[in-house]
Amino acid sequence: MLAGLSDPDDGMIIPSTQSLKIGYVPEITPAHILFTPTEYLYHMGRIRGMAKQELIARINELLKLFYLEDAQDTRITYFSKGMKQKIMIMQAMLEETDLLILDEPLSGLDLQTQNDLEETLRSLKQQGLTIVLTCHETKLLDHLVDTILMIRDKNVIHADLFIHSTALYNKLIFEIADPTYLDDILHLMKIQQQSSFATGSYEVTIRCQAQHTDVLLQQLLHKEASIKQLMPIHNKEKFIHND
Amino acid sequence: MISLMRYQLLNYARSYQYVPPFSIFVLCLIVNYTFTPNPILDSFSLTSIMLFFLMGWFTITLFHTEDEGQKTITCFHTNGSGRYHISLFTIGILIALSLSLVSIIYPTIIQAFAKTPSFAQLLLGFLAHFCLAILGMALSALFTRELVNSKQNTWWGVLSILLLTLVLATLKNSILQIKGLIWLLPPLHLSLEIMNSGDQLKTIPSHFYGRFLWIVVYASFIIYLFFLLSRLKRK
Repeated sequence: MLAGLSDPDDGMIIPSTQSLKIGYVPEITPAHILFTPTEYLYHMGRIRGMAKQELIARINELLKLFYLEDAQDTRITYFSKGMKQKIMIMQAMLEETDLLILDEPLSGLDLQTQNDLEETLRSLKQQGLTIVLTCHETKLLDHLVDTILMIRDKNVIHADLFIHSTALYNKLIFEIADPTYLDDILHLMKIQQQSSFATGSYEVTIRCQAQHTDVLLQQLLHKEASIKQLMPIHNKEKFIHND
Repeated sequence: MISLMRYQLLNYARSYQYVPPFSIFVLCLIVNYTFTPNPILDSFSLTSIMLFFLMGWFTITLFHTEDEGQKTITCFHTNGSGRYHISLFTIGILIALSLSLVSIIYPTIIQAFAKTPSFAQLLLGFLAHFCLAILGMALSALFTRELVNSKQNTWWGVLSILLLTLVLATLKNSILQIKGLIWLLPPLHLSLEIMNSGDQLKTIPSHFYGRFLWIVVYASFIIYLFFLLSRLKRK
């Protein structure tokens, strides 16, 4: 649905106000592609409507990026599964892409190929490409992804955690007389939950960056907040399995 | 669209899946015209029925050249499966056109007939081949993986519908008893009736064109049905 290949059974898709260029890598890697990488990418690019000169330059760029220059004249049908997967990612990146969608990218790959692919994806991520992928394995979750949307029983559970950013996060639960006291320190935290007690005070659950935690605690104590719980958020995989 | 067609045609050419039906087509032509002289319209009628069946083979192999994964990718780049299938049908029409021309040019060149065919006979021969080839392609497309999930059902389905069409053409008189039914069934019999006119035909009666036109209209309706059903299946 994200790639626009199928319609939703129910509900509606609200399109982005900006037009996004999407690259798509399907789950099933084609077994028999009867072209060389250069020919194949050229055909796919032309079908997309890309201009010849621009396309040829982009193909050469991609062949360098994915270290496939030596294999550019070999038919893809003779490639290993990992190399075919690289070609699939290359066809998805023919145009400058805003969003790369990968459906089960590690499915059926051996360990070495999985590591190679992970390295490729990390390199693309470092170049600023937004990647959305689906997976059952936790391998990519360990080292690559920033945010996980876990789907279970037709429901999406949004684990809005950032395990790979340089800063770790803490979860903090405290009680405070009036939530408006927090107005001047809101920039240090993200309120996740807030509930009022019969006594008139409020229990607030927030998330904050580890580096801001000490300052935040000082400010909260100064505002006579009562700290109930402080816990680090640093292991998303554990979170998912325990959920 | 041209880029898409070029890619699909090259892919089909490199797959060599056209070799078996094309070899049978060539073999049938050679065998049919081994002994001379031959009647003109009767020979064209026979080779047009042969092409009607072989187009089923060409259609299935053409539509299934790419595997499922590659088809998804090509459709994604094409921006929808509609243009993807229009391109495949166009290639199918080009194959039908080429083989129809070969079917009438080859026996004429080797002088397989008692006398040189007139322009009217050649035109009738071409129309019979081309219209039946288009009809065969349209009917076979209904059994491609776009609409039928099982590969076995694809081949049985194509063979059954093409054979049934031919059988119904021969049972036309019985079918006429049920009013209106004849218009629903594939109009293969119209071509057979025309080609049964005899070689003494000098000019083509205008109602012949109407009959060939109806075959093309019928095939177009089947192709429209293909797009309609595939859209419904995707939802």
